[in-house]
Amino acid sequence: MAVCVAVIGKDNSPLYIGGIGNDCSTDNELSRQWLVHTALDALEERLATSSSINANSGNSTAHTDLRDLYGYVTNTRIKLVLVTSSTSPSGSNIRDAEVRTALRRLHALYADAICNPFHLPGDQITSVKFDKQVKSLILNNV
Amino acid sequence: MRCDVQRRRGGRAAAAAAAPQAAAAGGGAAPIRAAAGRLTEQQGPPGLQLPHSELEQLWLEVQLPGATMALGTAYRPESKLYLRLIYGKEAQKHIRMATQPSDNTEFPPEITLKPLALIGLSGLDTVNNAIHKAIWDAFSNNRRPDRASVRFKLLNNTFEFPVVKPKRNSYEWYIPKGILKKNWIPKHVSLIPAVIVIFYDMEWNDPQWNEKIIECASRVQSIRAAVEGHATRVAVVVVQSGLSPPPSEYLLGAERAQALSSACEIQSKTLFVLPHNDHLMGYIIKLENAFYDIAQNYYHHETKNIKQHRDHLNKTTHQYLFVRHQFKLGFLNEMKQDLSTAHKHYLHSYNNLLETRQVDTNIHELRTVAGYINYKLCKLLFALNLARDAIAQLKLHIERYKSRIGPTELLFEHYAWMARQYSAFGELFDDAIRAGLPAIQSQHPGFYYQYAAQFTMKRRQAMRSVCCEATQYPPAPDPMEGIVEFYGQRPWRPGRLSADPHDPQKEQAAILALQYNERIFNHSAMIISFLGSAISQFKTFHSPRMRKQLVVEMANEYYYCADYGKALTLLTHMLWDYRREKWWFLASYVLNRALQCAYLSAKIQDYIHLSVEALSKHIQVPNNDRNRIYKNIMSVLQLNIPDPEPDLPVASQTKALDLWQSSIDKEPLTICIDMTNISSFLEVKPKFVQQKYRMDEFIDVEIYARLIHCSLEVKKILLTVSSNTETMEIPITDNGNSTVTLHHGVVYKFLCQFKPNAQDNGSDINLINISFILDLNKQRKIVMNFKIEESKPRGTCVHPELLHLIMSPKSDYNFDCIVPVTTASVMSRECRLSMLIENQAPALQGEWFPTTFTITNDENCSVYDMSITVSLLSSLDNPNPDSVTDMSLVHGKPQSQPLLIKVGDLNNSSKYSNIFYLKTNKIALIAVQIRVSYYINLHDSPKLECVRDFTTKITVIKPFEVEASFSDMNFKPITKCFLDDPFIVMPQIKILSPWSLLIVDTDLETISCCKHCDEEQQSCVSNIEVTEKDVASDAVCIVAKYKPKDPLTRIGLYNIKWRRKCNLDGPCVMSTSALPGLTIDDCPISLHVSYPEVIELQTSVPLKCILTGNTNIPVRLSVTIEGSDAYMCSGYKNTSVTVPPHGTVELCYNIHPLVTGRTTPPRLKATLLGDNSKQGTIKEIFEKNFPQNIFVIPKYNK
Repeated sequence: MAVCVAVIGKDNSPLYIGGIGNDCSTDNELSRQWLVHTALDALEERLATSSSINANSGNSTAHTDLRDLYGYVTNTRIKLVLVTSSTSPSGSNIRDAEVRTALRRLHALYADAICNPFHLPGDQITSVKFDKQVKSLILNNV
Repeated sequence: MRCDVQRRRGGRAAAAAAAPQAAAAGGGAAPIRAAAGRLTEQQGPPGLQLPHSELEQLWLEVQLPGATMALGTAYRPESKLYLRLIYGKEAQKHIRMATQPSDNTEFPPEITLKPLALIGLSGLDTVNNAIHKAIWDAFSNNRRPDRASVRFKLLNNTFEFPVVKPKRNSYEWYIPKGILKKNWIPKHVSLIPAVIVIFYDMEWNDPQWNEKIIECASRVQSIRAAVEGHATRVAVVVVQSGLSPPPSEYLLGAERAQALSSACEIQSKTLFVLPHNDHLMGYIIKLENAFYDIAQNYYHHETKNIKQHRDHLNKTTHQYLFVRHQFKLGFLNEMKQDLSTAHKHYLHSYNNLLETRQVDTNIHELRTVAGYINYKLCKLLFALNLARDAIAQLKLHIERYKSRIGPTELLFEHYAWMARQYSAFGELFDDAIRAGLPAIQSQHPGFYYQYAAQFTMKRRQAMRSVCCEATQYPPAPDPMEGIVEFYGQRPWRPGRLSADPHDPQKEQAAILALQYNERIFNHSAMIISFLGSAISQFKTFHSPRMRKQLVVEMANEYYYCADYGKALTLLTHMLWDYRREKWWFLASYVLNRALQCAYLSAKIQDYIHLSVEALSKHIQVPNNDRNRIYKNIMSVLQLNIPDPEPDLPVASQTKALDLWQSSIDKEPLTICIDMTNISSFLEVKPKFVQQKYRMDEFIDVEIYARLIHCSLEVKKILLTVSSNTETMEIPITDNGNSTVTLHHGVVYKFLCQFKPNAQDNGSDINLINISFILDLNKQRKIVMNFKIEESKPRGTCVHPELLHLIMSPKSDYNFDCIVPVTTASVMSRECRLSMLIENQAPALQGEWFPTTFTITNDENCSVYDMSITVSLLSSLDNPNPDSVTDMSLVHGKPQSQPLLIKVGDLNNSSKYSNIFYLKTNKIALIAVQIRVSYYINLHDSPKLECVRDFTTKITVIKPFEVEASFSDMNFKPITKCFLDDPFIVMPQIKILSPWSLLIVDTDLETISCCKHCDEEQQSCVSNIEVTEKDVASDAVCIVAKYKPKDPLTRIGLYNIKWRRKCNLDGPCVMSTSALPGLTIDDCPISLHVSYPEVIELQTSVPLKCILTGNTNIPVRLSVTIEGSDAYMCSGYKNTSVTVPPHGTVELCYNIHPLVTGRTTPPRLKATLLGDNSKQGTIKEIFEKNFPQNIFVIPKYNK
């Protein structure tokens, strides 16, 4: 079950962080931001060690006790991070293929969002539509 | 649980970690204490006398693989230090458990240390006997890891061994009171040796052999008596001088050794001889390994004993014993260094423990023991290089025990235990990495320290919820006072197994005591310590962001324990990184916490710094209350105490107020803030209006400012500009008013103008800083510096073209689309001179080519000190023009380059003219630069220098091309010539110059092997005029004198003297070209044929042929005349002639023409007799010299 989705710019600044939490309190937001921010360590490490980045390079994962983090780096070094809770309600583990599909769809959504001529590249994504679509992706897909 | 009085008081006094801990006391410890008491009385040197148990404890703490210390040595405060010094890092590692934050969940040292086989050495007098001392030192010092895993202990005569417990025959009525006895491990690790080695000085040929053997045997007997009941092995080492005995005594040695072993009742393989000579260390290592073997044997025997008990046990009453026995087996195998078997037994023990029934009264004991066994398991798995299994074991362990919470009043104990599991595992993991285990970013000890910190936080949370009422330690009797025999048991009810508390009141008091202890425990210190360990691990394993998060958590802990200064330092460092990566939410969180710390510690510099940043649009402040922060800044400016930040701990507020009272009107009075490094509420962009400025122009800088919040009264704005020569501060005014008030939402534009410095001509000027100074005339001022650094790439590039579509207020666009320009160059004033260049290009190669230039002063006034520099510019095809081209102001005399002309003054609209010449041998395009510099007096800037470069390009071409052809004397083309055979060189001059030329004269300079045939040489082409595409042909007759060694590359140099036709009176130019060479061949003879050119018909004429020998030997030839139809001929038809060396032979024929016209005369043919290598040449020379045809004219009959 995905709980949080983040889009990180090539300079590692957050472009979008969205999640479904029951409460929107500061504490929840804070822990979500810490989680995504620290996930960058693992992504950066992978990027530094792999010499060339293939098209939409693969996933990298980091596991903590409660959360699994999946990362996806586009050709333009935009990083997409998907956080899933490892204790899914059905009890079954999330399959890699599902995560991959979800990340691909997220990439497509991101591409649509930045095609908006009113969006300044490098700025945070404030589009309501994007937010809605991402949340539905989180809820429906994984 | 190892909680006694001393311990609790230590905890109250802020847990002095270094205090030696009182070790287990109990039934088994009594004999140790008694024995130690005697020891210290007898031989303890003066020093601090400690109870033996403490000494033992200390000893255990510093025990290393093989490290040894004689029991009974008096404790001195420096002992611990001393040991650390000796064993360095090794000891640090082992002592660390004691320096880690301590609470009652720490593992006792006997659990954490690696068990080593214990070997007792007896009979060594290390104080009085130097040899014994050397032996002891060899055993005990320099214990490197490659030596056997044993520990030596020096026993003296009075040493007493623990009393053996009576052997139990039946377990039927036995109910164990606990799981693991505290004294069992120390007993085996340091009190019951596996082997006792008796050292005895004796030579095989000792005169008093009989007495000696008896004494030795009695020593063995007394040791045997002392260890009565233990299976300890006994070995004897006979210490002998290293002198080898005479051969006659070899047998004696064997015999006496036999006798000694039977007298001592030992096996012959446990009798050793130690010669103390140069090779002592080698013998010692051999002995050590032998002892180690015996020790292993002993421990094997011990394990067998324990295994025997198993049959008597039953699962209902003896579940504890299943755990205990397996643990003992594991431990003994560990001492035996059989790690995999040890692991097997520990695992059995662990699994047996899991099957034990858990109730509230034994939960603490169960999990304490489970923790110990798990620790042992993980440690062994790491030692066996099975790191993955170790991690899996820990995970499983946590999974199994995390829900075994126990009574809720003591919930904190559960979390403390969890934290300890993680931190101990982290240490094991860390040690394994130090020993060479590779770790990765996603699996390293840092995570476990982090969990330990997290569980300690949970522990504090639990403490807050359950310990609120424990405000006082329960009155006497102290429930914590009591002796505990088993690990993890409670001192107020030792050995009780029943599930129901037997004394509810006592239980209540004990819980209160535990809660009270927990309440006063410094959780923050522990969390900080765990976080510190985790941070260094995350740093090692390339996780900078994780590290940052932990540092922030650490700062939070400092905040909770009111160490605001430390917290502030950490937070301000971390703020930097979050700001740089634009994680504004996290930056806001860090900044708000830092602001609280700055307020509470009344650090004015930091407080203002953080407050100013808090006004930025990126930072979220609590309740979105920027006005409050703005007011606080203004208060500090007015030397008033600011309002407190929200949500401060009440306890610290009064102290903070005091701090503010004392520091508000003191230094720092001027607070400088580097605004470019923080996210600012005031944005500034400077811009040079132009990229380049002339010296006589004003430099204008536009400064745009925008305020995000409130309105701001700025006392002064200063712009700092730097150039090569100076740095100046220029005040910026708003319509002449230095105080400027800014309002939010408006884009302000200030214009600043200044004159460039005359010395900065040609250099760049940079904007380096803009300062906004806030000052309310109250001594304190805030300087906001916007530094502009060239080297620093600007964070965001501005793309105004992208901003058009962004929906933002118009004023924002006006500001956002401005691209800062911070560098401009200053150039000299524009020059108003014009130049006219006249020449007859293209120039011809080799000539001095004149160019006339004329400068006209178009300025409004006269100029002075004008100077002109003429230089050549290099280009790609002509990289070093000055080396191939001469320049001069005078025709024909090269001058040094560049040419300098001092002109002096030049009046308004007057002209100056001059000529320069250049001469080059290179065919290229020559670029000539004429730089004119002068000074001019203008009304506002006197003596202003102006410079202008004029460039002209001159093409250089060849005036002509010279080709040459060769022909024989009959003008037939030849490709080779013969020695002494004249031939003609015909140079052809092809004119390329577009200008008409006059060829004045030519001559051929032959090389040394040739010479001119004519005495007087007269050029065929002298004094002729030629124009483009003409070809002038010359002819010179030369002859080869001798044959040069190398083939000829050129026949000579052809010099042409010429000049332009239009320039008749000018000096001539001499051009020289090399003419190509031809082959020179030699011939044994030379041939001269004389014959008339024209003959009358029917008239006999002689045909004379002169053969001259060229060689030092005679040449023999066979000569045949080849007749012709057109002639009659008389003479030898076929003859042979001999040409003498350097002599001549003359052959005469008469020929008589029969027909008119061009006729072919008879020819001679010669064949070389003898050596005919030169036959071809002979043939060729005859062919060449005989006429092809002779013209015969008819005869007129008169």
